[in-house]
Amino acid sequence: MARPELSPSLPEKEGVAASALYYLRLYYLLLRAQARSQAVYRVSFALDALGSAFITLAEFAAFVLVLPRFGSLSGWTLGEVSLLYGLAELAFVLMDLAFGGFDAPNLSQHVRSGSFNTFLLRPAPLRLQIFGSDFALRRVTRVVLAAGILAYGVMASGVIWTPEAALLLAGSVLGMVAFFGGLSVIGGTLTFWTVESVEAMNVLTYGGRTLISYPMDIYGQFLRKTFTYLIPAAFLSYFPVLHVLGRPLPDGLPMLAAYLSPLVGPLMLAAAFAFWRVGVRHYGGTGT
Amino acid sequence: MITVHNLRKTFRVRQGGLLRGSSVIMEAVKDVSFSVARGEIVGYLGPNGAGKSTTIKVLTGLLVPDSGEVEVGGLVPWKDRRTHVARLGAVFGQRTTLWWDLPVHESLELLRHIYRVPEPRFRQNLRDFTELLELGPFLNTPARALSLGQRMRADLAAALLHDPELLFLDEPTVGLDVVAKERIREFIRHINATREVTVLLTTHDLGEVERLARRVMIIDHGSLLYDGALASLQARYGSARELVVDFEAAPPDPQVPGLELLGANGTCVRYGFTGAAAAPIARVTAHAPVRDITVKEPEIEATIRRIYEGGLLRDGVA
Repeated sequence: MARPELSPSLPEKEGVAASALYYLRLYYLLLRAQARSQAVYRVSFALDALGSAFITLAEFAAFVLVLPRFGSLSGWTLGEVSLLYGLAELAFVLMDLAFGGFDAPNLSQHVRSGSFNTFLLRPAPLRLQIFGSDFALRRVTRVVLAAGILAYGVMASGVIWTPEAALLLAGSVLGMVAFFGGLSVIGGTLTFWTVESVEAMNVLTYGGRTLISYPMDIYGQFLRKTFTYLIPAAFLSYFPVLHVLGRPLPDGLPMLAAYLSPLVGPLMLAAAFAFWRVGVRHYGGTGT
Repeated sequence: MITVHNLRKTFRVRQGGLLRGSSVIMEAVKDVSFSVARGEIVGYLGPNGAGKSTTIKVLTGLLVPDSGEVEVGGLVPWKDRRTHVARLGAVFGQRTTLWWDLPVHESLELLRHIYRVPEPRFRQNLRDFTELLELGPFLNTPARALSLGQRMRADLAAALLHDPELLFLDEPTVGLDVVAKERIREFIRHINATREVTVLLTTHDLGEVERLARRVMIIDHGSLLYDGALASLQARYGSARELVVDFEAAPPDPQVPGLELLGANGTCVRYGFTGAAAAPIARVTAHAPVRDITVKEPEIEATIRRIYEGGLLRDGVA
């Protein structure tokens, strides 16, 4: 039998739309494979799903119980805090779901076990494969809870449900997913050099997430300024929420600042992926 | 298919803590050159840490060398990763490329999409490999539930579904029983012969190299010690043949003129000699009454060990 004259290499000069479609399909197939793999372990899946839902519930229950005693939190009602908290939680859980492959423990495990090389030995884009290497469906319960808290927040805070408000909040979630995804990518990239720095990164990621779950004006001047101008976290959810609640932005910032979340987040993610490429190049130098 | 010229790769190895420690430059591969033609099967041997896996990592595009030129099928491996790896297949012994919890055929199906193998070609290959490797009974079994031999066979199929031109095999039969080993070797010979797949085989199992490769390359301490036919390696560097003699009674003086005494244990005495066996046998039988004689050929393993230990080839590549 003669060797088939058939090159398995990528089709040349493929249209942008065609390759985008192919990547989407491949991403879907990889995620489906992850989902199917998890379906094998039903009991552990159910326990994980319950357990992670409990985290969200416990956290939210804490201020449902505490807040009424003070009447409000720096002038924020329970409904308003729920809006802020629900947004942050929803974005964070969605990020966790989508960026799980870049999570530092996962990635460092791949690097140590050599399965990272398996990704590099396949002709699909590396990042697509990493995105497709983890999809913790058990977090879906948290997504549902977060969406519920958000919905409660929207209703209880009396947001006037205009298309503009909906867009603003959707943009806020999108921006946060990208922003925290970026932090996760940076944390994962650091594992190409050292595992020790990952804890420091976690302080940023989890700390940042907790920080923006509450109204910024409960914090001191210093923290507030830092997370507005130095690390632009306030743009992600705090400003959009102030805007939909019809309140002015602090420091006399123009209303425009409330629309910047879908810009700030992707910028962060782009910077993170630039760092990722540096990390992958470093890996190619050391192979460890 | 493969051209490697003056390949060099060093690593910085940290010693001591992150802050106080110093780093040492370790030369994993220094000045290695070789080429492999299409359709060859080459055995690549060397003890652990000799530079074997560094070479393979460079050839597969996983590592960027410090200097030297490398070309695989007309491409520089680390410069055009995706095009390069689309034409490679790799089976790294202990590690599977299959999705652990998915049935084998689903993993293969995923790889079809990743490598963009046209559907008819995929069906054809899957049919061929299922027959040759007898995958049928476990195509629906998840990878985690496979025996080692089954997993190896599934991984081989996975590595070849996209018709690669070059196949890297690292310890492909380690830990398998004789029958399973032989089946996999037969398959490797078959795809090499019928599909002209070039095979680079790294292993510690010399029997494997003997069965599959006519050519071997031996690397140690980052340098190629030998590159040539397996047969001439044995002829040139093999140790002496051995004559194992069982005497009627333990000889008072086991020493036989012209033969090297290797050891004596009661009636059983071992001698070393080179060349034909007739003359030494005549000498031994003349020396004392003999019950039995066997001739033992030098093992290639002993030859290789002698090469590593004695630096037999250090002066230059044959």
